[in-house]
Order: sequence, then structure tokens, then C-alpha cells
Amino acid sequence: MNKDMKILVVDDFSTMRRIIKNLLKDLGMTNVTEADDGQTALPILKQGGIDFLVTDWNMPGMTGIDLLKEVRSDPNLASMPVLMVTAEAKKEQIIAAAQAGVNGYVVKPFTAAVLKEKIDKIFERLG
Amino acid sequence: MKSGIGQFEMELQHKAQELVSVLDGGDLAHAMEIIQDLHEFRHQVFFTEVGHLTRGLHEAIKAFSNELGSSLQVDDEEDDNADADAADRLNYVIEVTEKNAHETMDRVDNALSLVDRLDSQSERFTDLLSLVGQLEKEHDGLNGVYDRTCAVKEESEQTIKTLRAELTDIVVSQSYQDITGQLIRRVITLVTNVESHLIGLMEMAAKVEKLSGIESAPASDQEQENKKVEVQAEGPQVKKNSPDVVSNQDEVDDLLSSLGF
Repeated sequence: MNKDMKILVVDDFSTMRRIIKNLLKDLGMTNVTEADDGQTALPILKQGGIDFLVTDWNMPGMTGIDLLKEVRSDPNLASMPVLMVTAEAKKEQIIAAAQAGVNGYVVKPFTAAVLKEKIDKIFERLG
Repeated sequence: MKSGIGQFEMELQHKAQELVSVLDGGDLAHAMEIIQDLHEFRHQVFFTEVGHLTRGLHEAIKAFSNELGSSLQVDDEEDDNADADAADRLNYVIEVTEKNAHETMDRVDNALSLVDRLDSQSERFTDLLSLVGQLEKEHDGLNGVYDRTCAVKEESEQTIKTLRAELTDIVVSQSYQDITGQLIRRVITLVTNVESHLIGLMEMAAKVEKLSGIESAPASDQEQENKKVEVQAEGPQVKKNSPDVVSNQDEVDDLLSSLGF
């Protein structure tokens, strides 16, 4: 896993963005950009340069699931690893995220160990 | 004091008796008038009753939000718009918890930089220790000091590591602000919806004479909303033991692995 990769963290709660940023820093990843919903995240993604997307689901404007669908349908972004970190805990929601092509799914509240494990797993698989 | 429905029952009995006596007298035209009166009276009573209930609910919400306002002392302004007020108060809860979560994290950041300093001091300690190790050979009195000091140093490094993990956990636990905030936002939406429907109901009750019947009440668009096909965001699940809800990360992992992840 390349520690210098550029990560976009999308969540409408600044508290959660900061928590995730802090945990990523613990993992040695400090190249982090933030957005507060899908609508602001998408132009940042389309600009290029982002290597990894961590997104919430429930956000005003554009939700995380819609953002994920946008990413998968854009040929330039389609292969980007996406981790969903969300309080949405219904089975049908997790299935919908999986079908939309999410690479990992973490339910809030989560622990530092769980987030680390999921990130490690995503990049292990991608090789 | 009789309620609207109670009055209606009395009136109903009175009119029924009148109807029977009119029919006995063979005055059919008058009988039809009485039936028409009864019909209209029924609508009026029901609408008035709904109007009273609606007004009562509206007053209760206003009183609740005023009470909440005075206990929170956010502002002194008297606000007539109860629903905006209640929503404001709830938004205030989100703001306060957000501010406090950030303040906590500021302190943890400061504490973590102190831990970093401890780490660098530990490195300097290593240099000093190697000096003691050399001196030990020359001075019998220092015998064993190197090993014992090394043990203390390791112990302290372990403590620093634990301290760092504890501080990180404090940061992670601030996620309560996101979880509670999401629930509060849903309550804000609910209160706003209830209030606007209440106002609609009050207006409808006020126009009772102009309305022809209860069935003309606006069709519930809530039901249509419930028929949405797409999987939507619902916010944090409160009832964790529901069969269609996962209760922890392990269940998420199991579900995903069953899908081939």
C-alpha cells in the first residue's frame, strides 16, 4: 500500500471527517482531501489525482451510494477503490452498496482496528 | 361542559325524534330537510373536533419548544413559528455537540503531540543508556544498572504505546456526534413535517363550511413515498435486533462474504 496516495474523505459531519483523517494519519497516510457531500466530492474526483475514496452514505445533496454509482460509471474513475463508512446498517443497504461496486463497508460506530483492517484488505486485494 | 361529540349526540337524538314526529305527520319535504341538516351538522362537528385536536397539538408543540428554549437560553427572541423554533433548538444540539467533539479532539491532538515528544525523549534515552553500558565495565558500583534501566525504559515505552491507543480511542468515540446528529436531523424533518401538516389541518378545519366532506381531505403522499423502490439512506438504526438490520461489523462482513466479497 502506497502511504503517499491521495485520499478523499466525504462526510457531512466534520467530526467524522476529522476522526477518519486522524485514523488515516495513524496508518501513515497524510495526503487527505475532504468534501462534505457527493456533489462537492464529484468535481474533486473528476479533476483527477485521487487514489482512494472513503465516503459516508447519508448526506444532503448527493448521497454516498449515488456518488459510488457516479464513480463506477465514469471510465476515468471506475477502478477507484471505494470504502463506505456509514451508519446505514440494513442488510438491503449493504447488499445495494455491494451491487453498486463498493470495495469495503464499515458500519458506524467503528473502531480504529476495524477501519485499518478494511483498508488493508482493500489494498491487499488490489495488490 | 359537553364536548363537540357529546353535543352532537344530544342534537342527534333531538333531531331523530323530530324526524319521527314529522314523518308521522306525513310531511316528507320537512323530513328531507331534517336529514340534510343532520348530514351537514355531522360534518361540521367532525371538522370542529379535528380543528380542536389540531389546535391543541399545535399549542403543545409551541409550548414544548418555548420550554425547551427557556431552558437552553439560546436567544431571547419570542418566535411565533414554533416548528422553526423546535428545529432551531435541535440544530443547536448538533452545533454544540459538534463544537465539543472538536474541542475534545483538539485536546487529544495536543496530548498526542506530547506523546510524540515522549517518544523522541525515549530515543535520546537510548543514547544515554549505551554510555552507561560502557561505564558499567569500568565501575563495579554500576553493575546491573544498565539492564535494570533498560527494563524501565521498555516499560515506559509500552506505557506510551498504550497511552497513544487510548487517545486514539477517545478520538474515535467522538463519532457519537455524527450518529446522534443524524438521528436529530431526522427528528427535525419529522417535527417540520408534522407541524406543516398540522397547519394544513387547521386551515382545513377553519374552512369547514366550504368543504363538502371528509373524503376531500388531501390524499396522503406519505404512502406514496413509502412505496419507493430504490434503497435509500435511513440514518443510524435504533432497533438493532431487527432481522433486516446488522448489529455489528462482523455481521456486515458475513453478509458481504456471502455475496462473494
